[in-house]
Amino acid sequence: MNETILIVGAGPTGLSAAHGVASAGKQVVLVEKESRLGGAPILSGYARLVPSGEWAKDAIGRMVKRVEDDARITIHKGAKVMKLDGDSGNFIATLSNGRTVDAGAVILGTGFTHFDSINKPEWGFGTYEDVVTTTQMEQMMAAGKIACPSDGRVPERVCILLCVGSRDRQIGREWCSKICCTVSANLAMEIKELSPGTDVFIYYMDIRTFGLYEDKYYWRSQEEFGTKYVKARIAEVTQGPDKRLLVKGEDTLVKRPIVIPMDLVVHAIGMDPNLDNPEIAKVFGVGLEKHGFLERGEHYTASFASARRGIYVGGAALGPEDIDTCISHGLAMAMRAVGELNAGAQKAA
Amino acid sequence: MPIHEKSLIAPEDLMTSDKLVVDGVDVSGHWNTMIKPRYVSDYDADFCKVIQGYPGGEYVHRCWQCGSCTNSCTVYAVNADFNPRYWIYLVNLGLKEELLKDKDIIWQCVSCNKCTNICPKDVRPEGVMKALQHWMEDEGHVAKSSSTLFDEEFTRQCLARGRIEDTEVITNFLRRTGQDIVELIRNGWLGIMVARMNKWPLLRQGRLGKFIVRMPILGPLKMGFMMVFKPRTRSWGNTGTVLRQYVEEQKRLAKG
Repeated sequence: MNETILIVGAGPTGLSAAHGVASAGKQVVLVEKESRLGGAPILSGYARLVPSGEWAKDAIGRMVKRVEDDARITIHKGAKVMKLDGDSGNFIATLSNGRTVDAGAVILGTGFTHFDSINKPEWGFGTYEDVVTTTQMEQMMAAGKIACPSDGRVPERVCILLCVGSRDRQIGREWCSKICCTVSANLAMEIKELSPGTDVFIYYMDIRTFGLYEDKYYWRSQEEFGTKYVKARIAEVTQGPDKRLLVKGEDTLVKRPIVIPMDLVVHAIGMDPNLDNPEIAKVFGVGLEKHGFLERGEHYTASFASARRGIYVGGAALGPEDIDTCISHGLAMAMRAVGELNAGAQKAA
Repeated sequence: MPIHEKSLIAPEDLMTSDKLVVDGVDVSGHWNTMIKPRYVSDYDADFCKVIQGYPGGEYVHRCWQCGSCTNSCTVYAVNADFNPRYWIYLVNLGLKEELLKDKDIIWQCVSCNKCTNICPKDVRPEGVMKALQHWMEDEGHVAKSSSTLFDEEFTRQCLARGRIEDTEVITNFLRRTGQDIVELIRNGWLGIMVARMNKWPLLRQGRLGKFIVRMPILGPLKMGFMMVFKPRTRSWGNTGTVLRQYVEEQKRLAKG
């Protein structure tokens, strides 16, 4: 029975799990494939987080520091798990950097991949410079300036297209990415704060600012920041003779086609299954659910269990998830893994 | 099955040439009918602010288009073209042209306030209907409504004299709304009303004594006196001027 727990992925889920396990007195080996810890919020340069409003580099930065400063946690950056032998209680992981890790349990916080807008060519990403993604907008917000990439002008009008890479059978994305509505409403307010002269339009099919995000983001953006919500799924983004972008679609509430000039078009990109999921499933011997996310076991009494005993999965690896929930998943998985090790130790004694 | 799009074509967008020959083929008349482009090509971002500047329109931007107002609407129940939800959307996006297509029915709001009671975002649609009507009158898109003309006459007398004369309000109102007072007395409702007030049916029944006892004498006399001398309320002084200035100032402030 090995007392070490192997955690894969150092985003909000993995960082939270690592701290949880270490605080319960067990050893942690944390493996991250990128050269930096922090996951998507850090790697993609998010600006202010929902719902705390804190800068990602501060909030997630604290999580990273807490893990880095913990003597019980060993970190391998730029490394992947290539092979996992053994069973629950006695796993042996082989890392891409040549090391082997003995672990009693494994926690997967392998997260997601941002949808690549190139897969929706009709919406102009990759064709027009002034079509960007929410990730790029986050980076602009973090840098404190908003400008059209084509010529650096401050946009008079920005439109955000929701459900880009979500809720779309045409491209095999039959899920709601859950956070984009709230992120977009937040972004609309940040844009207005940064550039009061810019009008922001959000093109939506439904608005799903769930739970407490309703008034704090949806209502507030509309009522205090003048964000306009237009019920239309855009058919295509083209360019007018004056180089301004034209968004075409049908305004379903006016029952009329629209062709509206915009300076900047933002894709509210969804959350795809991690591109590495097929590999992860093979290496760890866990299953994938029908959309390609990691498969979750029975949840009521075996929470966060994967298809393989001793391996736990949580966070955005299971499906689109917000950061706060990922952090909770991390702690819950720590609880599960440590509990399992303790039960194993009692049995052996 | 009815073609839904057909209902979206405005008659002025249809183009038909009586005589047209293309490549030797006669396509005169309806064979060459074309429809002009009819898409929405821009938003007027300031329009929403204009309507918010009118009393009642302050909360129009809160709307999220649930349709509760239209579903609860008394007028919508009898006229499906009366759609508050739709007009509120047009205001928020600044689709003025679309809105003006319905300029002749917006006034029909009966102010039952069912919409205001049911609205989950507290938009107060009844107020928006008022704001829209006032905006259209101010911009000359529609003639002043009867109620606006009445309000104007009422306010004018209040400010001038600190009181109103019922007879003067109604005569001026009828005149401004183009109603023939003499005709209304001779053959219309006004004559019937005055006759009944003055108990003429008693006279017709031959009950002369009762008629004389019941006939109002002092009232009409006082009314006639007031019509001629138009007295002001006691110590009215400059109050009217001050009130007028205050109203103007408030209007200016509301419109930013």
